[in-house]
Amino acid sequence: MKRILLRLFLQGIRDFGINPWAQASTLAAVTLVCFLSGLFLMALVTLNQQLGMVRGEISFQVYWHRGTDISQIREQWQGYAHIPGFLGVKTFTPEEALEELGKRLGRTSGSLEKEFPFLAEKSPLPATALISFAPNNRNLERWISETTLFLESQPGVSRVVATPLQDELGRAWRKVSKYVMWPSISFLTLTLGLLVGNTIRLSQMARSHETEILQLVGAFNWYIRTPLIINGATLSLSGGLLALGLLFLVHMQVHDVLNFPPLLMEIQFLPWQLMLALLLAPTCMGIAASWLAVRGQ
Amino acid sequence: MIHVRHLSHSFGPYWALKDCTFSLEKGDFVFLSGPSGAGKTTLLRLLHGSLSIQRGEVRMADIDVKRLTRQQIPSLRRQVGVVFQDFKILPLRTVQQNIALPLDIRGLAPQHIERRVRAVARALGLDGRLSVRCGELSGGEQQRVAIARAFVVNPQVLLADEPTGNLDPELSLRLVELFKQFQAYGATVLFATHSIDLMRRHPGAHIMRLEQGMITNANWPGAHIFRRPDAMPVRPGASNADDVRADEAEHDRRDGRDRS
Repeated sequence: MKRILLRLFLQGIRDFGINPWAQASTLAAVTLVCFLSGLFLMALVTLNQQLGMVRGEISFQVYWHRGTDISQIREQWQGYAHIPGFLGVKTFTPEEALEELGKRLGRTSGSLEKEFPFLAEKSPLPATALISFAPNNRNLERWISETTLFLESQPGVSRVVATPLQDELGRAWRKVSKYVMWPSISFLTLTLGLLVGNTIRLSQMARSHETEILQLVGAFNWYIRTPLIINGATLSLSGGLLALGLLFLVHMQVHDVLNFPPLLMEIQFLPWQLMLALLLAPTCMGIAASWLAVRGQ
Repeated sequence: MIHVRHLSHSFGPYWALKDCTFSLEKGDFVFLSGPSGAGKTTLLRLLHGSLSIQRGEVRMADIDVKRLTRQQIPSLRRQVGVVFQDFKILPLRTVQQNIALPLDIRGLAPQHIERRVRAVARALGLDGRLSVRCGELSGGEQQRVAIARAFVVNPQVLLADEPTGNLDPELSLRLVELFKQFQAYGATVLFATHSIDLMRRHPGAHIMRLEQGMITNANWPGAHIFRRPDAMPVRPGASNADDVRADEAEHDRRDGRDRS
């Protein structure tokens, strides 16, 4: 029995040689579906982590007028610690903001000023601070409005933006998930099933003569169908593996692109459970689609 | 071994077999003759489970074929060796792989498979061609591969649909002798052929003639002869092969066919 199963497994792998273009196209499509799903999952993981980090937090981005005395601004930064619910503050003087901008643009420290000498005299950027609070207040909207007014009333402050991140992100995420992402993934999965099923049908048609002979000499259906189902499963598993490789390469390139103020968001790679899911889900789909394709023969 | 009762089969409005009844015991050898379209292939396909039985009964090796489900048909086919008119071999596989096919699906040990394949190939003069792809063989060699594949499992029943169609007379005779050897080991053989010469060279063999789906002549009591107004009468006491062969020849003469 083991010998038969091993032979059928190898036959299933060899079946990649039947209709190689159709198999390659299906492999590309499966890879694309898995890759898109993986990107979505990466976004989900990253956002979930951010939501976890800022859960219960309200942040305010405060900008000062250019030219405001920096010592006066520093005094205000120190005073924030006395506001109830204060968690922390990330501050940027105009020079620090310019240096951070230079880093984002891929310049080393001071090179931006060398390239543009007028920047060396005076940074055109305003001083800014990202202040985080964990308010213990039932009327959150009112609290946000009052705190915004208070911060705006400070000397030299030009603009205050309240960013109740956890609510906004959570709400936006739920909407996106509900109306776009999950229906898209469901559609892509269905497409994947149809593609794999059709390719297996093509293989089945190409092997119809062999199948007929096998039936005539007494082969059971499982003997005839197993290589085709293994072909479908291998095709889908290979697509999943390729997609994971692509996701890894993409992650290496983009994991830091959102890691700048005020976002400071590092894109996370998939945890092992999701990597496993990204391999098993298409494989199971491939097996199911192949089985449906061959069961009528 | 093979018991057929009132077997009829139609393709749409056309009846390919009409009310056939016959019995073959273990070790019987029967030539199945008749013109093209007489129903020989339909009968063999019904016995082999390739066509579902519409009317009548078929029992093969104590298996009621009519009661078999689709999933059970392979069990029947494992006990029956079949040689098809169109060979049904895989042209891209070697002779060895083609002959070994029925053994492969049984999951037998490779050494055992090789031993069996070599023995059968030697008997059919294919031992020097085992590694050649079947697509590169002549028609006669392909036919021998198909026969070897049927022999290799030592079946209880051998069904052969015009197995000598592509062979020269000498090889045809040798082939019938091989079938006879299997018969001697207890296999029941139903051998469809057009060649009256083959039948003439095997006196004492059972012969059953089919015409327009009906058994119109037979030389052993196990077959029920369907009588129709224009059929050649079976002469009183016609129980030996010579009589039936004479009837066959007369039929051929009347139909204007040359079937040497």
